[in-house]
Amino acid sequence: MSDRRPVTEQEALRESLRGLETARLPATVPPAQFPIETLVPEVRQQTPAVGQRATRPDARLHGLGQTKYIDDLALPGMLHARIKRAGIAAARIARIDTRAAEAMPGVMAVLTGREIPANSFGPSLQDQPVLADERVRHAGDGVAAVAAVTEEIAAQAVERIVVEYEPLPAVFDPFEAMREDAPRVHPPAGNVYAHKIIRKGDVERALAEADRVFEGRWTTQMVEHVPIEPHAAIAAWDANGRLTVYSTLGRITLGRADIARTLALPVNRVQVVGTIVGGNFGGKNEISQEPVLALLAKKAGRPVKGVFTRGEEFYASTTRHPFFMDYSTGVGRDGRIRARKVRLVLDGGAYCSWSETTLGKACILATGPYKIEHVQVEAFAVYTNKTVAGAMRGFGAPQVCFAYESQMDEIAAALAIDPLEIRLANAFDEGAASPTGQTLESVVVKASLEQAAARFGWREPRS
Amino acid sequence: MTPLRITVNGREHVLPAPPETTLLALLREHLGLTGAKLGCDVGDCGACTVLVDGLAVNACLMLAAQADGRSVLTIEGLATPDALHPIQQAFERHAALQCGFCGPGVILSAKALLDANPAPTAAEIREALAGNLCRCTGYAKMITAVHAAAQALHGATDERSPRATPVPRLPLPGGGTGGPR
Repeated sequence: MSDRRPVTEQEALRESLRGLETARLPATVPPAQFPIETLVPEVRQQTPAVGQRATRPDARLHGLGQTKYIDDLALPGMLHARIKRAGIAAARIARIDTRAAEAMPGVMAVLTGREIPANSFGPSLQDQPVLADERVRHAGDGVAAVAAVTEEIAAQAVERIVVEYEPLPAVFDPFEAMREDAPRVHPPAGNVYAHKIIRKGDVERALAEADRVFEGRWTTQMVEHVPIEPHAAIAAWDANGRLTVYSTLGRITLGRADIARTLALPVNRVQVVGTIVGGNFGGKNEISQEPVLALLAKKAGRPVKGVFTRGEEFYASTTRHPFFMDYSTGVGRDGRIRARKVRLVLDGGAYCSWSETTLGKACILATGPYKIEHVQVEAFAVYTNKTVAGAMRGFGAPQVCFAYESQMDEIAAALAIDPLEIRLANAFDEGAASPTGQTLESVVVKASLEQAAARFGWREPRS
Repeated sequence: MTPLRITVNGREHVLPAPPETTLLALLREHLGLTGAKLGCDVGDCGACTVLVDGLAVNACLMLAAQADGRSVLTIEGLATPDALHPIQQAFERHAALQCGFCGPGVILSAKALLDANPAPTAAEIREALAGNLCRCTGYAKMITAVHAAAQALHGATDERSPRATPVPRLPLPGGGTGGPR
């Protein structure tokens, strides 16, 4: 290999550019098995982006199978972790007996929630324990963890941990959870943990005066991101007591602060290394097992890797919020929307996660891209003893879009107006105001609708 | 523990491996070939797809011992030192790889198809990739890429091909527990 390499960087650069269609920088180190040139991003280079074909610079190593994701990395002496999941929706933890697991050959460390310096995290409310210590709030809560020389031993050891639970009444329906007498997921606090209201104009009077009022409820289900790469992380300490975490985290700066907080470490003693992530979609936007791996690694004195099982991806990672959306829309005979009143209930599951962001964005977007003078949107995020709902593509925008566009179709059908025409009649123009009073610029809703309709022949006679 | 004799990417290996070792674990942990991924561990996602004697299998469901005496091709063995394989080239060019995690499996499923059927229809490509899940790009670009690769490899694709060559399935000792598709 060395005889192929030009002497200086400049020579390497020049050589790599020779005969290439597009100017790309050379790979500094070609992959050992493949002297095929790797692609690197074109930095600080102004390119006309719109209408151009682009090649992802990372596509070559993806296609060669040379991209290293977390589970493709191994550190010397690395152990494998497994987390014991509660498997019960609501309970007080009476006792955790880890002795049988600790006695197993190959088990190097066992951890419970009480050993975690600051056992809570979350991007807006720190309401989620790293490992449940006193109370289980959903079946996917971790209650203990093991690091062992192989994954198989770790999995067997987790089975030998005995947890005694005192079951508590659980609540699974967000409307039930909103009642005063409902079991509380985080006592003494009530189950409504985020609330927002947007008011513009006089919605009640406008609804009363409208020619027609359309009402409906739309609901969406819980959705798991299902990244093909499960959540994975490796934690390793150096001789100076600094922690390095390799993780599938999408937000490494936020994650770093959360890891430092849970471990009661100054943030400068924590380094988080993000790598290529095998699918995030919002599901890898906050820490999960990282502090557990860090503490196991500290106890064992060896690096520890953790990879979620596909099962854990479903019950122990976050999901998209189920929404319950009630719409009342007052419309004139001409199809113009005069007023829209929306009530949203978000089933947040056991912890807040990104619920506040989701709630806010859903509220702002709930009335759709339409000029409506009288608006009221009220929304609630509610705890239930279910899998945590958090960020997922759009933060609540797809749910409300499903509701308001479904209702637009119902209104169009009832008034015998073409579904495209009713949208064009109501859509935002340049300079329109959002329900929260923001003046909108570069508004192309109508142009986009027209162009789409022309492309798929909406106005052509249908047979 | 009888050592296994397995040819991987044209190179013969004699490896002692515990009987519970899956082919995927053998490749990733014993041979350091991490191109095949563990996605679901139950044969649903196809991220672990490798070719065994030319046929696509889920390496997470196949025991290493079932590959004894066979020839395995992983994504690492597809390119030559000088050039990408035409399927890899087409996937790169047609932006069929986004996060890339499913890519090695998809590319090898496509190879198994194109080896058996040089001019597949879109329906045949869909069928051949049905065992590989992707959550980023959608599948349209992959189908375009496989068409382009067929063109590059064999000079022609025929949308109206009357032949609907089924992808042959891998016969396994003991009735096919290796997840052949």
